Amino acid sequence: MTWTHHSLLDVDSLSREEMELLLDQAGHMEELLDRPIKKVPALRGKMVVNIFFEPSTRTRVSFELAEKLLGADAVNWSAAGSSTKKGETLRDTAWTLEAMGADAVVIRHGMPGAPWYLKSKLKRASVFNAGDGAHAHPTQALLDVYTLRKRLGSLDGRRVTIIGDVLHSRVVRSNVQAFTTLGASVVLSGPRTLMPREVEALPATYEPDPHRAVEGSDAVYLLRIQKERAEQGLFPSEDEYHRRYGADRELLARAKEGAFVMHPGPMNRGVEIASVLADGPESLILEQVRSGVAVRMALLYLCLGGGSGS
Amino acid sequence: MIVLKKARLFDGQSLGDEPVDILIDQGRIGAIGERLKVPEGAQRLDLGGKIVAPGFIDLHGHFRDPGQTWREDIASGSLAAAAGGYVLAVAMPNTEPPLDTAALVRYVRERGAAARGALVIPAGCVSKGRRGREMAEMGSMVQEGAVLFTDDGSPVRSTHLFRQAMLYCQDLGVRIMEHPEELELTGKAQVNEGRCSAISGMTGFPETAEVLGVTRAVALARELGCPVHLTHLSTARALEEVRLAKEEGLAVTCDVTPHHLVMSEEEVLKSGLSGLYKVNPPLRSPADLAALWDGLWDGTVDAIATDHAPYHADEKDLPFQEAAFGIAAYECAVAAVLDRWRVNHDHRPLETLLTALTSGPARILPLESLPLEGLGRLVQGGQANLTVLDLNRVGRVDPLQWRSKARLTPYQGHSLRGWPVLTMIQGRVVFSALEEATAGG
Repeated sequence: MTWTHHSLLDVDSLSREEMELLLDQAGHMEELLDRPIKKVPALRGKMVVNIFFEPSTRTRVSFELAEKLLGADAVNWSAAGSSTKKGETLRDTAWTLEAMGADAVVIRHGMPGAPWYLKSKLKRASVFNAGDGAHAHPTQALLDVYTLRKRLGSLDGRRVTIIGDVLHSRVVRSNVQAFTTLGASVVLSGPRTLMPREVEALPATYEPDPHRAVEGSDAVYLLRIQKERAEQGLFPSEDEYHRRYGADRELLARAKEGAFVMHPGPMNRGVEIASVLADGPESLILEQVRSGVAVRMALLYLCLGGGSGS
Repeated sequence: MIVLKKARLFDGQSLGDEPVDILIDQGRIGAIGERLKVPEGAQRLDLGGKIVAPGFIDLHGHFRDPGQTWREDIASGSLAAAAGGYVLAVAMPNTEPPLDTAALVRYVRERGAAARGALVIPAGCVSKGRRGREMAEMGSMVQEGAVLFTDDGSPVRSTHLFRQAMLYCQDLGVRIMEHPEELELTGKAQVNEGRCSAISGMTGFPETAEVLGVTRAVALARELGCPVHLTHLSTARALEEVRLAKEEGLAVTCDVTPHHLVMSEEEVLKSGLSGLYKVNPPLRSPADLAALWDGLWDGTVDAIATDHAPYHADEKDLPFQEAAFGIAAYECAVAAVLDRWRVNHDHRPLETLLTALTSGPARILPLESLPLEGLGRLVQGGQANLTVLDLNRVGRVDPLQWRSKARLTPYQGHSLRGWPVLTMIQGRVVFSALEEATAGG
């Protein structure tokens, strides 16, 4: 098959075949990471601008590494130190980037839909969504399915339980789509105050009791709980959250034998995840980070390299 | 003198089958009949079976004048409304400053009377500064021509003030138009609470916020025996509360907007979260949309009101959360509704829709104090305020050609069937898209 995408806004634009092609490509990229000289010239001469309107360390560094390992010129447009703070509109920023000759823009923005908006204003440059509001985070979802698929072989018929703040999570919205595209089913759990009203729209099912939610699951995926959610009255305290929903050995014991533990990071140890799981043998958390570089390399290569995939 | 030949007449209640001719002389309907003779020197317009209805009335338009005239002004909004088939439009008072004094109401009335399109008449604020604390001088505003009272853009913030204002204006013959929304539930809301909030990750406007706004107004109307009008209802449940209030015999009326009748939250999602679709109340679920049509057919909905909310492109061409709330639509609002009626509802009577654009809204206004006579009716001897509809005309929405200052709308590019083609006020043509009229006999 031929890869036809030049941008990635969310995973729902990818068919199963396209997603698998991308994940296979990521496998080749991961092999590169083990070589003594990692850099290849696949995107030499391409200019990629990383524009982050929200603080992010791991996603930005992961994209930057991917760009540099492929030989692209990576430029970081720091929204904090740019005219964005002086009130420039995203439209003007988009046109400025294009006038400078950017081939691709990687954008993280607090406003849902901002990458779509940016794309609509650019004539030529590719756009990669590095997270928009609580809406989508497609490269996180791709690295997550890549990581688990590598361990399980196939995700068909598998079950993943995601526990935590679904309401405010861009990760979960893209992840549910990516996991279901590859044939897995997703169960969500956490307090009702942290759930959207219609989780079936994601599409997923909801089980309020995390101990029941993990039954039969191949992976337990924890979402970060932000301190301010308790202050906003969405649950009483971090302590109570940990007692009711925090992942520990007892919870994992209810999942399928050998089930994996995943987390998009950064973790709040002792809130959504106990250290014994974060650092335990079932944890894929650091593998997820490594996969992130490989998946982003594959994405950039396919979209910008002009290659026809495999 | 003008003779409209071969018109299907809608008189405000029923639509005739047989074509008739309508003679307009000195601003009045001189005669209605079959094969009227065209007098010497009279202009003859062959309508070929197009519908002639009483001029359309919009209870809810934002003219942005005074104070925000980069978005719209009374002159541009008046022409836009006329091009949409409206002879009369009520200007909302959330201007800058808000219309909360007799002098400001007079300003809008005078500008409205001087405008060359639809007659624009003002609604006044319920509260001073629209702040929801002290009652505005409603009596003085009625004397200067205010025809409704509303803090639209927001509900009346204090329930105590709402209650006092309802009582106070009962003797003024002008009712309160309430924007039903419990603000405690809608702080950061952007989209419908449901599929759209679940998928977009944005905060939702829960249905309950609108229901509480409606039940508060209904409870006050019940206790005080006062009329109240609820504007831009968007949910099935809120409409059901109005239905129950009407069954109980309360003087509760309501309107719905064209955009809530033709678009749902699915359009927001399909657009990639485009700010053009951002509006308060938000575009709701397809089930809510269907319930609004049901409310029209069973008489729960009294009027279709545009909530025309023009903005400069720079205020709408933004990521969703940064874009302003509101949809500009005067020049295609009626067409959007007619098009959807034809596609999904043409087994239902067109009369019901025409009523919701004419005699329905007329009943909510203090007709005796309006500068136009006989609104909502079309009878021999009455003033010639009328709208001609061509149900078969197909046109594409192009906001770059609009008379309104707005240049962005979610209807952009939509091909719609069924358009107003002529608007007449007191016998004067204020808008015509008819083929060149043939003069003489």
